[in-house]
Amino acid sequence: MKNRVRELREAHGWSQGTLAEHLDVSRQTINAIETGKYDPSLPLAFKLARLFKQRIESMFEPDEGRQ
Amino acid sequence: MARVSKGKYTLQVALIMLVYVALMLFEWPLVAKTDGLALRTLLALLPTLPVVVVIGLMARLVMRGDELEQRMHLIALSIAVGVVSAASIIGAFLAIARVWQVGGDVLVWVFPALCLVYGVTRVALVRRLTGTWDFWNC
Repeated sequence: MKNRVRELREAHGWSQGTLAEHLDVSRQTINAIETGKYDPSLPLAFKLARLFKQRIESMFEPDEGRQ
Repeated sequence: MARVSKGKYTLQVALIMLVYVALMLFEWPLVAKTDGLALRTLLALLPTLPVVVVIGLMARLVMRGDELEQRMHLIALSIAVGVVSAASIIGAFLAIARVWQVGGDVLVWVFPALCLVYGVTRVALVRRLTGTWDFWNC
């Protein structure tokens, strides 16, 4: 899954640690999401979308190369 | 539920394991010298108390982790249970066939073996999923 988490986080001037605090997750979880190594659950994806005031489908996009 | 502070968790586990080591050094030798069944049972089971407390702390850490942390704990625990179960059944069959002479005290290694496989698997998972070796903060 491709996502715009890093782009939106940097646009807000936040570090991974700051975003992690907003979402009550670990910094490593943010890192794993941003690098595409981990796809967040639907509740966490919605929390991210609400936090950045985005529609969820504008933040996450299926990676056609992966199942 | 608030996330568990890793520093506080580490300190708590370290202190409890110190108690365990002290019990094994100073209390455990008394077991063999004690005649009364009730007292011997009590002395034999005393070192399990700190182990049970540590298991409780580990459970709290997992329950209060975020979704990725819980996923890694679950995978690591599943692999550890699988490896130790396979080793146990192999050992049991070899012992029944009298190929390998082993006493009941080998059971004391089950929990450390679980912890070892779990720990190694967790490090590998953190490396794979986060690309870092920072397994302590994950």
